[in-house]
Amino acid sequence: MTDGEIRELCNRFFDAYQDRRVDELAEIYAPDCIVWHNVFGRETSGAENLAALPKSYAGQRRRTYDDRTIHTFAGGFVIQYTLHGVQHDGHRGALWICIVGLCRNGRITRIDEYMDSSKFAAWAGRKR
Amino acid sequence: MTDRELRELCQRYFDAIERGDLETIAELYAPDFGFWVNLTGEESSREQNLATLRDGSALLRRRSYDDRRIDTFETGFLVRYSVNVVTHGGKRSSFWACVVAQCRAGRITHIDEYLDSSKFRRPAASEP
Repeated sequence: MTDGEIRELCNRFFDAYQDRRVDELAEIYAPDCIVWHNVFGRETSGAENLAALPKSYAGQRRRTYDDRTIHTFAGGFVIQYTLHGVQHDGHRGALWICIVGLCRNGRITRIDEYMDSSKFAAWAGRKR
Repeated sequence: MTDRELRELCQRYFDAIERGDLETIAELYAPDFGFWVNLTGEESSREQNLATLRDGSALLRRRSYDDRRIDTFETGFLVRYSVNVVTHGGKRSSFWACVVAQCRAGRITHIDEYLDSSKFRRPAASEP
């Protein structure tokens, strides 16, 4: 895939994630897609990730993936961004996150996500 | 810089951190070097970061940056790794992190680091 194709795929992925278009995310994930987080240290399948999204989305009124800085390399991308969330009570929070995406034939085959879980409570407006 | 030069710079940098070799680290940082970490969201200068590294190395018996997976892009490198730490009291802990580095003329001009601070307090049994 070219630099342009990888960048487009990356932005398409985050636009779909932001707009809660799970059907499009299913098209973007390769059948063997793996998702890994530094917080949990375990791999889940793309299907498991998609299945968890409705419950995850229900937690907030809105999420936006902003300030995207994308670099591409042979076989994938790294994106640094700010996740802005608005809770149902109006509380606003932000998290700084980095994702490494591996790509093949126009689809994402692996996602590694790096973030600081110590900030989750403040992001959601909860006490620790 | 070429792919190979960027990879070598990345390895030299992490090898120097492991050894606590501040002289080499100072050589690898460009004069206008800046460091950002997702824990604070604040930018620190070359001198501030070197002071942090010096103070941090005194707190630990050993730290190693293992399982380094490096990808390079036009202006820098991405490295994903696990940090394994041994305190002077013998306690071990591990966490996963990644760094996105911008480079120029054989030196590092900027680092963005992403990690999970909640792992600092946990024992190694559940970590990589």
